[in-house]
Amino acid sequence: MPNVITNLSLNGRLAVVAFALGVLALFGGNPYKGAGASVNTKELSIKMATGADQVDAATLADWIIQGKADFRVVDLRPEAAYAEYHIPPAENIPVAGLVDAGLAHNEKIILYAEDGARAAQAWMLLTARGFKGVYILHGGLDAWKSDVLFPRVPGNATPAQLVEFAKTREVSKFFGGTPQALGDSSAAPQMAAMPKLALPTPKAGAAAPAKKKKKEGC
Amino acid sequence: MMAPFFKFGLFGENIGLVVAFLVGIGFGFFLERAGFNSARKLAAQFYFTDLTVFKVMFTAIVTAMLGVYWLSVLGVVDLSLVYLTPTFLVPQIVGGLVLGVGFVVGGYCPGTACVGIATGRIDAFVLFVGIFAGVWGFSELYPLVSGFYNATDMGQLTLPQVTGLPYGLLVFVVVLMALGGFYGAEWVEKKMAAGKKAEA
Repeated sequence: MPNVITNLSLNGRLAVVAFALGVLALFGGNPYKGAGASVNTKELSIKMATGADQVDAATLADWIIQGKADFRVVDLRPEAAYAEYHIPPAENIPVAGLVDAGLAHNEKIILYAEDGARAAQAWMLLTARGFKGVYILHGGLDAWKSDVLFPRVPGNATPAQLVEFAKTREVSKFFGGTPQALGDSSAAPQMAAMPKLALPTPKAGAAAPAKKKKKEGC
Repeated sequence: MMAPFFKFGLFGENIGLVVAFLVGIGFGFFLERAGFNSARKLAAQFYFTDLTVFKVMFTAIVTAMLGVYWLSVLGVVDLSLVYLTPTFLVPQIVGGLVLGVGFVVGGYCPGTACVGIATGRIDAFVLFVGIFAGVWGFSELYPLVSGFYNATDMGQLTLPQVTGLPYGLLVFVVVLMALGGFYGAEWVEKKMAAGKKAEA
């Protein structure tokens, strides 16, 4: 057998290589990784119309405080902006790598960028690829700053608003933010320094009991 | 590092031109080494006395196909980002025939004409003047022919899409076709050489 190959001309050897690669290709599978996608436009438009594609900042803050772990927060901004500040549990995945980032199709994924537009584009990409539980952080990081980190109440707040603010203030402190003093709403908001990145440890009492996911099929 | 490099932003338009220049030089070099700077060699293809053109072109197709296929299966190339010339079936058939007639009459195709000029062939230079005259004429007539030019647009088509067969199977079939073609080409060349001897 070795003699058969060594006796071949260069062309013959190349032909053998081509043939071998061709035979292996029978088992090589599809070289396209499937970059195409299709969407159910009706389903999507209903999701958009009903706001079922969005999560607001206060809700996300509650989830984090409760220690929920059934969702992933994805920061779509550039690495530098992510390094400067991000919502504590967020991971940084740029849009270009989003589809291949290894997110699971059945995960609850919350996307955010500076404002809504970039996250909405990413939402579209993931939804088109069949990801079911994708949400946009309503208003993006801007809303996170104004609603969670640096909440403010108008000077003429009603008692109900004040009660609400007392809670918001605690949330803000939890994330290392600075609740703005009650004052004239026309004054420019004083954004205090952005909080440190470390995820505050949830208070033992506040944390919801962690539910262990039951494995299917037992 | 993933390819295609340009699509992934590894270099911009300007460097892209430099890369295209280098690839073009490489293309021309191998055309020259195959003997395609001579109209006699190329014309012999149409008399079936020398099937080098067929063999070189089919070798290029099979090499590129195996390379692209295996590199993308191994995850080095993202095939979905590789540009495919869209298919305009009828205009491309007509265009192919026009190019073929020009090839037979002039003895060169555009690429080999460049190689011919680079090695100092006057006939290749004359053919190149013809190419530019044709390009100019087509451009001037474009408003008249644009309807036909854009007819039967079928988008970016691939054999697996058209046939519905798996990619791997088609790769195998094309390799078999090529190897069979090479074998057949050598056989035809021997036959023609024997026929010539008999005539003499």
